[in-house]
Amino acid sequence: MPSSVVGQTPSLTTFLKSLKQNDIENSIELFISLLKRRQIKNSRPCAIATTHLLLRVVAEPKRKWDAQKLIARVRHVGRRLIAAQPREMAVGNIVRRVLGVIREVAERDEDPLTDSEISGSASPITGEFQRPALPTRFSEFSPLHGAAAMPHNMHSGRPGTADSMAMEFGGTPQRPALLSTNASYAGQGPPGTSLFSILQHPQGRSPMATPPPGTQSPVTGPSPSRRAIAGEIPEKLDIKAEVIDGIKELQDELDVVDNQIAESALDHIHSNEIILTHTSSQTVQKFLLTDARKRKFTLFHAEAYPNNHEATHATILNGAQGEDDSDERWKPLTSLGITVILIPDTAVFALMSRINKVILAPHAVLANGSLIAAAGASTIALAAKTHHVPVVVLSGVYKLSPVYPFDTDELIEYGDPSKVVPFEEAEFTDKVDIVNPLYDWVDCDLVDLYITNLGGHAPSYLYRIVADHYRMEDIDLNAKQDAVVKKG
Amino acid sequence: MAEQGGTAEQSKTVEEPKVSAVELKKRAKADKQARRAAQKEQEGAPAEVPPATNGAHQEPSAQGQGVQQDQKGKAAQAKGQQQPKPSKQGGQDVRPERGGPSQPQSIPPRSKAAPAAPSKELPKRDNSVVELLSHLYPIQRRPNLAGVSKDVHPAVLALGLQISTYEICGSSARCVAMLLAFKEAIQAYTTPRDTSLPRHLVSHHLSPQIDCLRSCRPLAESMGNAIRWLKKLIVELDPDKPEHEAKDFICEEIDRFVHERITVTDQAIAASARNQIRTGSVVLTYAKSAIVEKTILQAHEQGTRFRLIVVDSRPLFEGKRLATSLMRAGLEVQYVPFSGLAHVVKDATLVLLGAHSMLSNGRLQSRVGTASIALQAHKADVPVIVCCESVKFSGKVALDSIVLNEIAPPEELLLSPIPEKSPIHPAGVATTAVTGKSAVTVTSAAISKDASEDDEPAKLKTLHEWSSISNLRLLNPMYDITPAEYIRMVICEYGSVPPSSVPVVHRLANEGM
Repeated sequence: MPSSVVGQTPSLTTFLKSLKQNDIENSIELFISLLKRRQIKNSRPCAIATTHLLLRVVAEPKRKWDAQKLIARVRHVGRRLIAAQPREMAVGNIVRRVLGVIREVAERDEDPLTDSEISGSASPITGEFQRPALPTRFSEFSPLHGAAAMPHNMHSGRPGTADSMAMEFGGTPQRPALLSTNASYAGQGPPGTSLFSILQHPQGRSPMATPPPGTQSPVTGPSPSRRAIAGEIPEKLDIKAEVIDGIKELQDELDVVDNQIAESALDHIHSNEIILTHTSSQTVQKFLLTDARKRKFTLFHAEAYPNNHEATHATILNGAQGEDDSDERWKPLTSLGITVILIPDTAVFALMSRINKVILAPHAVLANGSLIAAAGASTIALAAKTHHVPVVVLSGVYKLSPVYPFDTDELIEYGDPSKVVPFEEAEFTDKVDIVNPLYDWVDCDLVDLYITNLGGHAPSYLYRIVADHYRMEDIDLNAKQDAVVKKG
Repeated sequence: MAEQGGTAEQSKTVEEPKVSAVELKKRAKADKQARRAAQKEQEGAPAEVPPATNGAHQEPSAQGQGVQQDQKGKAAQAKGQQQPKPSKQGGQDVRPERGGPSQPQSIPPRSKAAPAAPSKELPKRDNSVVELLSHLYPIQRRPNLAGVSKDVHPAVLALGLQISTYEICGSSARCVAMLLAFKEAIQAYTTPRDTSLPRHLVSHHLSPQIDCLRSCRPLAESMGNAIRWLKKLIVELDPDKPEHEAKDFICEEIDRFVHERITVTDQAIAASARNQIRTGSVVLTYAKSAIVEKTILQAHEQGTRFRLIVVDSRPLFEGKRLATSLMRAGLEVQYVPFSGLAHVVKDATLVLLGAHSMLSNGRLQSRVGTASIALQAHKADVPVIVCCESVKFSGKVALDSIVLNEIAPPEELLLSPIPEKSPIHPAGVATTAVTGKSAVTVTSAAISKDASEDDEPAKLKTLHEWSSISNLRLLNPMYDITPAEYIRMVICEYGSVPPSSVPVVHRLANEGM
């Protein structure tokens, strides 16, 4: 393998290598150009590249961060990356996760300081530690409403009436408290709520635990006095180191996500089942390989013509490819004794009456449980629904996006029409409009089960996972943060 | 001869008093060991298999299940392995056997056959049979002239070759071509002296022609109806009619049939269907149906302004031919691969489909993929209209696409001609990578070859080597069945009817003549 970047097609591996050599701005530019030229495609490579890039950004040598500046920097970089390829939602997901990491680290660092302050004050909400209200974009009726991180400023001037207050601003519920300091950023459990904490702070508690009153996110700009007291410099270094740790945990999560999903394979596929799948997804292959070691089943594999069929054929014949173009391949299912039948996409409805399960791998999963998957998935899911065949979707949490699909057309990316009809056929390509959508939107009604690295969930539960992993204020990266910065 | 495994055991022990039970046991043990050795050669390390009862239709080609046979001693594996002894059978189920394992009455021939049986049976249970659809195998495609009966008229033979290579494709086209070929065959026929034309022509002259066509490709429903009509016509002829008059009469009747039931019918259907296309309509169609093409051209000539979406699929790409001919006629055409269906069906206002046949339970049998089109259209509330001549209506019923279907040769699914064995050298890759579509397959295989060490042989396979992988099958069905609830209307020469009226029209048109 030539070591210079020049001799190879740019891709994830070359980008990761160049990351060590280039300075940050160049790396960002390189990544943006890779995204724009679609030399880096599909959720996992994009997620991996984004994580590495953000790690570099945060770990910028000789740069001292405080949480606010760090968040602003990451937001800025994130905006640029997302603008490069808005339909690669994994990029945005990772940016938001990193922002969440930063906020958590910052909050955690503030906690010990604020507690000492609280004990003095009777009312938890008075004083300068108030956050101005953040307008929320989620209506009261949307499921994400409950996950909104609402600023405590609601209570300004009217202690104890948190719930009613929030109406004006469109949302009551508070962010669930982070009680454990060693929580993994990758897999947060449901936030701790306990009767103890309710009893401790009886004012205006909604069932979703609020952070201990008085706790302020440092994002909002704690007063300078406190900062000075705390000692700035060690705190900033801590933030950097801890955020780097958090991002590394994110990287680890991305590495093991397929294995975690495959752990539940044996629960879902039994002997002599007939499974249908399509495209050459590595996640699905690992899932089925784990199962194939113990069970015998039959697999109908729909090639996804015209965008993925060669990769699908290669996967069936030679096994799933390892991480990005590496030479090692997993064993093909046929070598483990599984009968694999390759069918054209058109035959899906014809055979669906004999299929027991459908397994899909998405490109992105949206907050309401619907998904964007490779083109053809919609037809498969509809046919499965007609024949009452369960549809199982395998997806890591990194693919889960806090976006609601209001306009599903916008989420579809179009591919190269020459894959359908080569440009040599000049008359045809000239006069006929050739459309080659790469993705399909599949509604949440058509999916029966999501298997993520956190386990299995119904589509209706995904909003909760979104709430656990993303912060309300990070969802729209274009929003101005000035309001947040203002001190009370 | 296939016999029940259980009864085989008892009959064998009853009929062979000369060989003692001990001898039997010894021989069987030796056979089993030989079998095991043969098995181990073929299989790698097969995964353990729980002794689950396979569904009968799941009895796959034996090589995948070698382990089961070996360890559990199930006689039922259709590999034709030797019968297990009664003692070994124990509590195992013995399945009825399929295929014909040799069931000799005496032991010695069987032990000779033991090592030979695995290799003999293996090619029979080959890779290409998908068990689910095994009733549709072997695949009928005659590629060459060898083995053709001497009675087959050359016109029919030529037609058979054209049909098997999809030169003539589409059930109306095949029906018309077949009748025209039969006209020639009938004109060339002479009645032998001691019999009469009505009695002799059908069974001795027409049947070989039909068999020849059937061996090239299974007959379409329209062809079946036409043949039934023709046979009826011939048999009801007056035997005293002089031969040349009878032959002329038959040929005229054939012409009339083609004219009435296909040519004029097509015009009538097109005239009726084009009224469904209004200004601003977006018509979606799939693959290539001659009658839908006529409808669209007529509507276009009428001056209606509409646009067209053509959905196409692998491996036949019939939609491309339709799109080309309509594009040349001046229509605004959008061409979409099958994966883009969900995206374009939202824009469509009308779906026009052709048919291979309409079944008596109201279902539509048409090119594979049509059911998905109708399903998506139904979900998007777009009306689906089927244009179908009555000659395609059938008395058959089907609930799913498995029972009535045709399997095409799996080689048609392969993407490109077999690439030459290119050397791993990049220069070699470049030369072979020039040819159109094959470029992508070759280069992807070649790049992966390049990526591996240069001295290692290229280990990655392409789809052309599918038959060397024992558990891999390619399935290429030709038709699927669309449920009646997705079809709004069927337009035939008797008018526009709902799908539930198909059996009525069938009786009228095909049986009540």
